[in-house]
Amino acid sequence: MSQENGHKNNSHYDWDALMHDGLAHRSLYTDPAIFELEMVKVFGGSWTFLGHESEIAKPNDFISRRLGLRPLIITRDRDGKVHALMNRCSHRGATVCRLPSGSAKFFTCPYHGWGYTNQGELISVPGEGAYGEEYKRSDYNLAHLPRVDSYRGFIFGTLNPEVGPLLEWLAGARPLLDQWLDRYPGTEIVVRSSAQRLVIRANWKMIYDNAGDGYHPAYSHQSLLEIAADRYGPEYDMQYFGKSSTDPDDSPLYVQSLGNGHTFLDQRPEMHADSAWQRQRPQPSREAYENSLKSRVGEEEARELLEVAIGSGMNLTIFPNLLIVGNQLQVLEPLAVDRAQVNWYGTTLSGVPDEINVLRMRTQEDFPALGDVDDNANFEACQAGLAIPEMEWVDISRHLRTRREKIDAQGIITGPVTDDLHMRSYYKEWKRLMSADLKLTVER
Amino acid sequence: MARAAKSRQLPAPSLYLDDRYYERLVQISRGWLAAGEAASADLQNMCERLLFKEARLIDDGEFEQWLDLYSRDCAYWIPAEYPPGDPRWEVSQEFNDRRRLEDRVARLRTGHAYSQIPPTRTAHLLSNVEVVAAGPDELRARTSFAIHTYRMEVYRTLAGWCGYILIREDGIWKIQVKQINMIDADQGQENNSFFL
Repeated sequence: MSQENGHKNNSHYDWDALMHDGLAHRSLYTDPAIFELEMVKVFGGSWTFLGHESEIAKPNDFISRRLGLRPLIITRDRDGKVHALMNRCSHRGATVCRLPSGSAKFFTCPYHGWGYTNQGELISVPGEGAYGEEYKRSDYNLAHLPRVDSYRGFIFGTLNPEVGPLLEWLAGARPLLDQWLDRYPGTEIVVRSSAQRLVIRANWKMIYDNAGDGYHPAYSHQSLLEIAADRYGPEYDMQYFGKSSTDPDDSPLYVQSLGNGHTFLDQRPEMHADSAWQRQRPQPSREAYENSLKSRVGEEEARELLEVAIGSGMNLTIFPNLLIVGNQLQVLEPLAVDRAQVNWYGTTLSGVPDEINVLRMRTQEDFPALGDVDDNANFEACQAGLAIPEMEWVDISRHLRTRREKIDAQGIITGPVTDDLHMRSYYKEWKRLMSADLKLTVER
Repeated sequence: MARAAKSRQLPAPSLYLDDRYYERLVQISRGWLAAGEAASADLQNMCERLLFKEARLIDDGEFEQWLDLYSRDCAYWIPAEYPPGDPRWEVSQEFNDRRRLEDRVARLRTGHAYSQIPPTRTAHLLSNVEVVAAGPDELRARTSFAIHTYRMEVYRTLAGWCGYILIREDGIWKIQVKQINMIDADQGQENNSFFL
C-alpha cells in the first residue's frame, strides 16, 4: 500500500529569481518556510544518505537516523535485509524506538503496546477486536521508504518512487567513492558509532557551502597553518592552501562538479604528492605506534600502511547530506532554519594492524577539534549577518566568468580550487528539487 | 602565511602514549576510584587545591600556567561516548597528548583562532571531590563539575564528572590524566573550543 504525502508541494517561490548569475538570496538561509519545504523535498525527493552498513553489521541491529526532520529506524532483519522504517507508531504517532542504536527483533510502542517486527510488520495490538470489522492489521504496519538501496555499504533512501537507480544518481561521484574505499587493497571501511557531533546556530547549507570551498582555508584556518609553520615547519599540514608566493588557483588542486549536485575538491596532488604521513602535523601516539608498527611489519610495509592512517585528501560531497572528508563521514542533520548538527563519524579499516586504526582515531579528531570550530564560528557569523533584510545577496560567483572551468565528455566540470563551482552545482540540483512537483510516498 | 623559516626545536615526540598507556587508562576509566584507599586528609587537601587552581587558570585564560600543571606524559581526554569506551577504537571529542595541548594553546595565542575571538568566558564549579591513593606517587580523583559559559550572547552550562590521575613528577604533584565526562558526551556540542 502506498500513501501520498499531504505536504504542500508547490509554493509561491520564484526560485530563478532567488538564485541566478552567481547570487543566492539570503532567504534561502533565513526563511523558515523555505526550510520546511527543503526538509520535505530536498531531503526525501531524491536519494539521501541514511547510514553505513557496517553500523548495522549483524542481523537485528538498528540505528536511529533522520531524513530531513523525519525520524527513521534503519534496521537489518534476521535475513540481513536493510529496511528504512518511519519511527512513528501508526496509532498515535509516538516514536517506537528511542535509542540511538542497538539490537532488536521487535519495537513495541510504550504508549498503548502496539508491537512491530524490525521489518515494520505490525504483529500485536492489545484489544484488537475494538477496531471493528473493516480493520486490517497490515494497514497499520510501520511505514517505510519506498526505495532503499546501497552502494558498497553506503545506504541511501528516498520517498520518491520515481527516481532513477542509485548508481545512475551517484554519477561522477561513484568512481571517486571507489577511490576513497580502495585506498588500501584488501581492506573494508568500518564506520564507528562514535562521532564528533557539533551543533551550529546557522542554516545547514552554511556547512554544505563550505564543503567544496578551497578559498577559505588560508584565512579561516590561519591559526592552524600558523602553528604548523611555527612549531613544525613549512611542509606541515595544509599550508599549500595559503602559500603567499603562489596563487592556489595555479596549484594542482582543483574542484569538480560531478552531476546531480555532487562535487569534489582534490587535495591529493599536494597532500599525497609525496607522503601525507610526513607532512601530517603530528597526532598523539604518533611515534609510539609508528615504532611499534615498524618493528612488527618492517620499514617498507609500515611506510605504506602509515599513509592510510592519514586523511584521504579527498573532499567528496554527495548531495544533500554526505560529506566525505579525510577518513570521516561528515553527515549533516538540519534541525531548524538557523540550527544544524554535523556528525563526524570516525572510520577504521578492517584487516590492517591495530596501530593504524589507533592513529586513524587520533588523526580524525584533529581537524574537527582544531579547525572545524573556526569554520563553525564563521557560519554562525554569516547567519548573523544575513539577518539584514536590506542586504539581499550572497555571492557565489567566483570563477563564474573567468573561463577557467573545463567540461569533459562525461559532463564533469573541473575548475580552479577556489572556484565557487561546488555551490553553483549543488544549488542547481537544489533548485530542481524545490521546483519539482514531487509525489512523495511511504509504503506499508 | 609568509613566515620566515626560523630555527625550531620540534616538540617532544609522543613516545609515551603507547598501548600500555591506553590499556591502563581504559582499566582505570572503568572504575576511577576502584584502586587504593581514601587518601589522607593532607593529600586530599593538596589534590583539591591543585584541581581548583587548574580550574581557575582556565577561567582566567592563563593557559601556559595551566599547562604547567600537567605532567610531561599527560593526556587530556573528552570522550564522545557515555560511559566512555576504549579511545583506541572510538573517536573522542578530543584526545590530546602533551604535544597537542601545546598546539592548542599556541593556536589560541595566534590571534587568528576565530572560534575564540572573542573568547568564551567560563566559570568552573568543582564539587564532590573524592581522592584515593593508588601508590606513594599516584592519586586518583573524581569530581563533579558544572562549567557555565558565555560567548557572544550565548549562555550555556556544561555538566558531568571528571576523572584525574595525579602523579609526582620530579617531586611535584602534576596532573597526568584528565578525563572529562560530559553527561551529554554523545550528543551534539556547541562551541567548546576552549579548555573544559
